[in-house]
Amino acid sequence: MGKNKGDDFKLPEDYFANFNARLQERIKAEGEDETLSFLPKSDGFKAPDGYFDQLTEQLKQRLAPRETKVINLRTYRKVAYSVAAVAAIFILVFVLKAPSETPIEFSDLANAEIASYFEDTQWDVTTAQLAEIIPVEEVELADLVETDLESENILEYLDENIEDIDEIDLNFETYEE
Amino acid sequence: MQPLIADETLVAQLTRPESREKAFGVLVNTYKERLYWHIRRIVLDHDDTDDVLQNTFIKIYRNIGGFKGDSKLYSWMYRIATNESLTFLKQRSKKSGITDEELKTRMIENLEADVYFEGDDIQLKLQQALATLPEKQKLVFNMKYYHEMKYDEISEVLETSVGALKASYHLAVKKLEAYFKEH
Repeated sequence: MGKNKGDDFKLPEDYFANFNARLQERIKAEGEDETLSFLPKSDGFKAPDGYFDQLTEQLKQRLAPRETKVINLRTYRKVAYSVAAVAAIFILVFVLKAPSETPIEFSDLANAEIASYFEDTQWDVTTAQLAEIIPVEEVELADLVETDLESENILEYLDENIEDIDEIDLNFETYEE
Repeated sequence: MQPLIADETLVAQLTRPESREKAFGVLVNTYKERLYWHIRRIVLDHDDTDDVLQNTFIKIYRNIGGFKGDSKLYSWMYRIATNESLTFLKQRSKKSGITDEELKTRMIENLEADVYFEGDDIQLKLQQALATLPEKQKLVFNMKYYHEMKYDEISEVLETSVGALKASYHLAVKKLEAYFKEH
């Protein structure tokens, strides 16, 4: 490396003295953590005073097993015997007289109940896992949709939902019967 | 993001009945504020955030046995918090019978009356602008810019490559800038 005597070129004063500081500044400015001048420094959210202090306790209370009230049964024993005796007679009468009811079946469930169960339940099943369960090869499109799809409907759908429909290799005529 | 106590130690203590309660206290104290702000930026309202945060911690407590240690503890917790927040919003729009878009508008309208939002016009505009972004871009932007998380940390939480995150962040900034210019 040749030694530069500094005869030919001039440098601003303190150029090398503050070079590191300027370089650091530039790196910071171009780095990941740049601030965007058009945005507010804070997004304005705040938490109520003391909120975080009571949170831990509140959570522990929610997770603590609930104590159940203990009732001394001995004092109620005499009453309990007579109530049980009367109840037994009633049950006997009903069992003997009542016609046997048919067990509840799947078809007895209201559609709304089934729908809300599916809506409210979190399914830990990925699409891939679902695909493994359902034999896709054996399923025809007609099994999934109630009405027959016209090829026109399909094309209309593609036109509305795909940006470059021209790029799809569509042979429209083959879909027409 | 440096935890005060090593993840392995905390997880081990959480799975042992005798040390469970104490360890859970440490876990909540260590992460409550970070998870609160993460959830708050998704659901916006304080009371809703409180609900989601408590459910998140309860889920963490009950499922700690299932934590395999494949990822870091904080990223596992952030992932639960993110899922809980997004599920909460989905359920809310379903119950109210409105679309996700209508819910977003409603959430911002409510924000104007929220006593725990010190927002002036520009901060309200920021929320309006953020509401126009796709969910993933909004998440990435908030986590990076206001939550000051590093790309590799976000990558672990959202299970997305750093490259894809940088692209999402870049797109989000461009869209926000355009929104601020137009409005």
